[in-house]
Amino acid sequence: MAGPLLRAAGLTKRFGGVTALDGLTIDVPAGRIGLVGANGAGKTTFFRLLLGLTRPTEGSVEVAGVDVGADPAGARGRLGYMPEHDCLPTDQSATDVVATLGELAGLPASAARQRASEVLDLVGLDEARFRPIEGYSTGMRQRTKLAQALVADPELLLLDEPTAGLDPLGREAMLDLVARLGGFGISVLLATHLLDDVQQVCDHVVMLDAGRLVVSGTTDELLERTGVVVVEVDDRGDGLVAGLARRGLTATMAADGSVEVAAAADADLDVIRDVVAELGLPLHRLSTRVGTLDDVFLRRAAS
Amino acid sequence: MTAAPTGTIYDRGYRPYDGARGGRRAAVAALVKSTLRRALGIRRSWRQKFLPWMLLGIVAIPALVNVGIAYVTRDTPLDAVRIVTYRGYVGHSSSLLLFVALVAPDVLCPDRRSRFLSLVFARPLSGTDYALAKLGAIGGLLFAFSFLPQVVLYVGQMLVNRDGAIDYLTANSAVLWQVPVAVALLSLYYAAIGLALASLTTRRIVAGASILGVLLVSSSVAGILRAAEGASPATEVLNLLAVPLYLRDLVFLGRLDDGFRLSQLDGGAALAVVAYLVVVGVSLATLLWRYRWSEA
Repeated sequence: MAGPLLRAAGLTKRFGGVTALDGLTIDVPAGRIGLVGANGAGKTTFFRLLLGLTRPTEGSVEVAGVDVGADPAGARGRLGYMPEHDCLPTDQSATDVVATLGELAGLPASAARQRASEVLDLVGLDEARFRPIEGYSTGMRQRTKLAQALVADPELLLLDEPTAGLDPLGREAMLDLVARLGGFGISVLLATHLLDDVQQVCDHVVMLDAGRLVVSGTTDELLERTGVVVVEVDDRGDGLVAGLARRGLTATMAADGSVEVAAAADADLDVIRDVVAELGLPLHRLSTRVGTLDDVFLRRAAS
Repeated sequence: MTAAPTGTIYDRGYRPYDGARGGRRAAVAALVKSTLRRALGIRRSWRQKFLPWMLLGIVAIPALVNVGIAYVTRDTPLDAVRIVTYRGYVGHSSSLLLFVALVAPDVLCPDRRSRFLSLVFARPLSGTDYALAKLGAIGGLLFAFSFLPQVVLYVGQMLVNRDGAIDYLTANSAVLWQVPVAVALLSLYYAAIGLALASLTTRRIVAGASILGVLLVSSSVAGILRAAEGASPATEVLNLLAVPLYLRDLVFLGRLDDGFRLSQLDGGAALAVVAYLVVVGVSLATLLWRYRWSEA
């Protein structure tokens, strides 16, 4: 597909006086996309808008080239949705639930049952798939929810907090599964407030805060653009901070004795080198700080 | 010597689906099918199978007994040995009422309670599709449960008729359209009321009690008003159990049966039709309103 997988233009949703999503404009390519933000940031509202379950107050959104407002059923036909909350009928088996939902997505009955078997295999539900869901662990239920989202072979999977409630091993297994889906050519929009999850499996990140776009970009770009250079000299770090300040650079002493310098351009690195030389300091380390998505989120949201 | 293990574990990965896909109509048909399965207890435990099939059995008993008696007495001059008439068989059994109170909550309440609806509406289905599929499934089951015993009765009577099957068919040809029309009206009525009330709660027991309560209380209220001096026969339409029977009489007789007090009222038949339409209309509106899930 040539165009972006997701395109939102001025997407706004208000509920009475509350603005859940405020003028979101993004183009997101196919791949594994992290949608991150604190609770109430607008992630679930964005999902509901993508599924055509609620209408935008302003703006528009497209999924795989389909205008959701004009053809919500067509857009839903391209999506698989895994909600955060419990949503499985516990008196039925995973096989029956997944097959039924495959049929509801338009698959013929025999194909739906075969697909149900395949995707339950894929998510690692073996013989348990024939037992009623009421006996399943949280991890098995999450896998069943993922399987039902996959059964109709969607172009884009919407995963809402897929690791919620899982123990560390279960979380790793789920993230591994999500990462594998990318390898199978299925795009994933992973909504979470756990930035570690996104950093681990996503190649594109959309950050929301209070309904507004904080930043959208590739994970690598965002992690590289910390804009902070770490300089380690001997115990005369204070002198270096003062020297850099005289040359117009903002620097602070870190708790470990290193100096963190806000360096936006390559020329700033030359200034740092020159100041160190002028002060006659031994240069132990000069490196760009590798950040985390938490840093990016906190810095961008604050600004 | 034991053979070396030869088993291999394959990661079968993921296979994209490139087969046929139905549209919304296929999705609605699938929902009807899964609702029928659930209502009849198919792929469920024996406890969930027992009640619906028992109720169907109870509904069919009068037809079987009637045919049996007709067979036994076929060579006697007695002509009036008849337990049930085609008209009287439409809506005579409280088993249908129990069936609605049992099944309508079972096919709606768990979907909302378990939040399964969020998965249903992530498919190319609208709230209206969902409500109409449920109505079609339950209405269809009620139709089948009411109609099949009538078929048994008709075919049985025809086969044991003294004067031959063709004579029976000729003499009773009118019921061939009267029975399905009257049964369809009855099925729509009960399905609409049952599903509308069940849609208002997430608890099956509350929904079942509400369905029985509303229908039985309305009957009691009409009875109390009937006993009151000077009460108009028009108050009879408050009896929700009687309303589909008025329609049945209009189909079979072209008028209300004299046994109904409403027949004493000028325009009683029209009032009965209006009452039927209002009850079905309000029920459907309630049902659709409760499943206005998708705004789009």
